[in-house]
Amino acid sequence: MAIDDPDASRVRVDNVGKQYTGSQGPVQALEDVSFEVEPGEFVCLVGPSGSGKTTLFRVVAGLESPTSGTVSLNGTPVTEPNADMGIVFQEYHLFPWRTVHGNIAFGLEQAAMPADERERRVQHLVDLVGLDGFEESYPKDLSGGMKQRVGLARALAVDPALLLMDEPFGAVDAQTKEMLQTELLEIWEQTGKTVLFVTHDIEEAVKLADRVVVMAKDPGRIRDVVEIDLPRPRSRTDEAFGEYYERVLELVRA
Amino acid sequence: MATDVRQEVERSESGEQGVGFPLTDIDLRRLLFGIGGIAAFVGLWWVVSLFQPAYILPSPVVVAETFAAEAASGEMTTALGQSVRHWLPGAVIGTGLGIAVGIALAWSPLVDDISSPVVRVLRPVPPLALIGFAIAWFGINHAGAAFIIAVGAFWINFYATYGGVEGVSEELLDVARSLGVQGDLQQIRSVVVPAASPEIMTGIRTGIGRSWMLVVAAEIFGVPGIGREILRASNNLQVDVVITYILVLSIMFLIVDTAFRAAQRRVLAWR
Repeated sequence: MAIDDPDASRVRVDNVGKQYTGSQGPVQALEDVSFEVEPGEFVCLVGPSGSGKTTLFRVVAGLESPTSGTVSLNGTPVTEPNADMGIVFQEYHLFPWRTVHGNIAFGLEQAAMPADERERRVQHLVDLVGLDGFEESYPKDLSGGMKQRVGLARALAVDPALLLMDEPFGAVDAQTKEMLQTELLEIWEQTGKTVLFVTHDIEEAVKLADRVVVMAKDPGRIRDVVEIDLPRPRSRTDEAFGEYYERVLELVRA
Repeated sequence: MATDVRQEVERSESGEQGVGFPLTDIDLRRLLFGIGGIAAFVGLWWVVSLFQPAYILPSPVVVAETFAAEAASGEMTTALGQSVRHWLPGAVIGTGLGIAVGIALAWSPLVDDISSPVVRVLRPVPPLALIGFAIAWFGINHAGAAFIIAVGAFWINFYATYGGVEGVSEELLDVARSLGVQGDLQQIRSVVVPAASPEIMTGIRTGIGRSWMLVVAAEIFGVPGIGREILRASNNLQVDVVITYILVLSIMFLIVDTAFRAAQRRVLAWR
């Protein structure tokens, strides 16, 4: 679980293809997708709808198996979700019967961590995502932004090598979204996690990522990879930011 | 960090009422209306009973007197004690098995494929039709009556649980796996049962009610208890005694159901 070897968090996607059988015959959702995410790197996956970015996310997470090719995390093939990766979904998918505390503690209970150590870890995560005072609240009483904080803390709790996020801020309002982005970057810098982040929001991708993987559709494939060579925190009013934005936008539309 | 949390909470809590169960004006109003409804019902009963002989419909006053007499003589508590001796094991065993089998079938497609033809054949059999088996297998005793009650409770809990487990979202299970949950038992324990608990609880509650109804049916072949008293009084046209013991059943149901509802609200406070 705890990863000291920096190589542990390297993601390798190798010639991944995914074919579905649709009503109009077979659909090639992904074709020959290959890329790597370096340990500690923040990579965003963008693309028009239908470009297979969510499919690719699900394959990397082990939620679906590819028709061809392989995905590996630290050299180990990924075949199903496991505790080496923390998954954060757009719809949160918190355990509604558990409090904030209980949701964050879930993975630690599975790992049979001693109770006092678990308490310390949960409290640390509660602090990290800024949910002090809400430990005993149930998800039904939380706003979208708070739910996603819980989702993030729950995923981070088991100290995964890789953080997989599928449009995590897609369901919150603009103001909250910006705040959560800033916080995510802070947490990423603190923890040094490898992050693969799916979004359809180009501005978000340019703001967050070290590299942006741009996907194209019919069939879903990688069009290009753009390295964002800008210091953080990044401002969208910055001229260079605008140039990157235009470049990624052009690639998405091409 | 996260200075916006307070503000977000205000947003999310603005439409919320307080927790707990304070006796608000609305509760009081409902209570008064409820009492009014009961009073009207008893009043109507009394008026109608004035024009009927006692073996058709005794007046509420006569029933109250009979109730008091039966309670004072100890007949009532004896009958109640007898009924509880098969009601309780029947309800507990039927509920437990129903939930367990419901989880097994809804969780495992293999178990479901193997069992569903058998389930479809057995499902329409009314518990009363099994009295012959109850006598043959257990005898005319509490175990036989408990068997009839267990069968009734079983199906209600089986279907409620089955539906609840089927409705558990795949995504929650995905999340659980990514947090280290492995194997069927662990998934069932940590995700499936809590996620399906609202449906399971509804099943238990419905099953408890049905079990009280089945007490009468289960005592039809001679096992002592409240149902036996009702049947005996019916044969003697002692309608006041019949109503008395029906009231005992209603009161027992009401007590158990109210207690269970309170427990249910506590367990499902997260909803």
